[in-house]
Amino acid sequence: MPKLALSNVEVVYDKVFLAIKGVSLEVEEGDMVALLGANGAGKSTTLKTISGLLGPERGAVTRGEVTFGGRDLLPLGAPERVASGLVHVLEGRRIFGHLTPDENLVAAFRSGGATARLNELRERVYTYFPRLKERARSKAGYLSGGEQQMLAIGRALMTEPRLIMLDEPSLGLSPILVQEIFAIIREINSQEGVSVLLVEQNAAAALEIVRTAYLVENGHIVMSGTADVLKQNPDVQEFYLGGGGKVNYHEVKHYRRRKRWLA
Amino acid sequence: MAYFAELVVNGALTGLMYSLAALGFVLIYKSAGVPNLAQGAVVMIAGYVVWLLFSLGLSLFLAVILGAAIMFALGLLTERFLLRRMVGQPVIMIVMLTLGLEILLRGIGPGFLGAAPKSLDLGIGLAPIIIGDVFINRAYLVGGVVAVVMIAAALLFFRTRLGTKLRAVSDDHVSSWAVGISVEKAIGISWGLAGISAVAAGVLWGSVQGVDWTLSTLLFPAVAVVILGGIDSIWGVLIGGLLVGILGSVIPGYLDAVVGGGTRDVVTSLIILLTIMIRPYGIFGREDIERI
Repeated sequence: MPKLALSNVEVVYDKVFLAIKGVSLEVEEGDMVALLGANGAGKSTTLKTISGLLGPERGAVTRGEVTFGGRDLLPLGAPERVASGLVHVLEGRRIFGHLTPDENLVAAFRSGGATARLNELRERVYTYFPRLKERARSKAGYLSGGEQQMLAIGRALMTEPRLIMLDEPSLGLSPILVQEIFAIIREINSQEGVSVLLVEQNAAAALEIVRTAYLVENGHIVMSGTADVLKQNPDVQEFYLGGGGKVNYHEVKHYRRRKRWLA
Repeated sequence: MAYFAELVVNGALTGLMYSLAALGFVLIYKSAGVPNLAQGAVVMIAGYVVWLLFSLGLSLFLAVILGAAIMFALGLLTERFLLRRMVGQPVIMIVMLTLGLEILLRGIGPGFLGAAPKSLDLGIGLAPIIIGDVFINRAYLVGGVVAVVMIAAALLFFRTRLGTKLRAVSDDHVSSWAVGISVEKAIGISWGLAGISAVAAGVLWGSVQGVDWTLSTLLFPAVAVVILGGIDSIWGVLIGGLLVGILGSVIPGYLDAVVGGGTRDVVTSLIILLTIMIRPYGIFGREDIERI
């Protein structure tokens, strides 16, 4: 059963900088989980730890375990991890700009797979993202931001994942596009049973679609729970959801607000 | 007029043979994203390998096939033992590594096998082919045909699924890893393929001028070809090769008599300089797409 579990993971960059400090989290099969937090909290590092992409940034896991479906991921290289059924949609989309969208999809298909399967997967991606089909022959680098994000997700689907990790899919996109893309992510999750681990700064949008969420700050998980519980939490509301304007500052005594979990 | 036609035709054929040396350069750039300054020495080593196999008594055909296999394997080994350590390092480090490799190989080949030129006889007749008033060098004609075939094969290769993966790797290593492409394997394959194209270049140039260290100086015209044609374009290799060859034959054909010779290298250098100043990415090269 492809369940992802991180237990007490510590990651160090350049042998000195401790980026995440004992992160534990779980993604059950078919679940949809968000990892929320501000810039530099350690969200992307957590995803790279899972997908095995710390190497090029001179990061290393110094403690803890990462398992997927009971299998230890840490000794595996990135391509083996993809073969085991997880895929990472990188922050900033990172599509192959000089290839056409169609070639982007072909490149992500596993080597040695049957051509019939390739065509089947490709058609499925084009069903989710009809706009990509219209632009299948132009250079991917000239697609709009939203189309590039669609292509990045479609390219990830070509690897036939059981778990898809999305790093800030809403980055730089208009609210309408964010809604559209989140709707498709939800559809992929419900129709194909692909688990989703979503990293977002846009907490409001993310909490609308996921079932559970983890809150990361300074490399620690400071809170976790179902999306509804997190949405009700006053600290989450104030620091991540914009407060909602419910606080009457005239009646509040003057003191510096501190996050309750830091107490 | 016949003199001019002869310069053009033979220049074009020489140019195509430059293309053959340049093809390996582009193969590596197009899949690994690294300019391989050792390509000249790789061509030289390929020449030595085939000469060695040939002089051991193998038939020419077998020597070339076996030589191609050996060069492919050496390409894979280069990735495994040299380039894999360079992952995550700046490109300039890898360029320096290939430059060091060039110097090392230039020493090793003649060092082990002797500096005297070895003759590699392909059995191509010396008598020129005469069409009208134009004399065409047979060896260059064979070289030109082989070059066109190899370039066509490379064009087709990059349309295959494996070729698409290799192009993806040259675009972005990290996102290739992220979708399960083995970047290491792709770079190994591209060096292997460059080794195979080096066999064609090494054998044909070796048959024309003998196999010795000077084969590695093909790096210079090869670099001119790829800079003019576009460093990541197979079409660029073809057109760039033709242009470098023709200009490098016609201009010296008239100027050498006046200035006393040696203008070919000047022409090649000028091509490099002018291209970089006027159109840095070459005729067919890609401009980096900037879009945020």
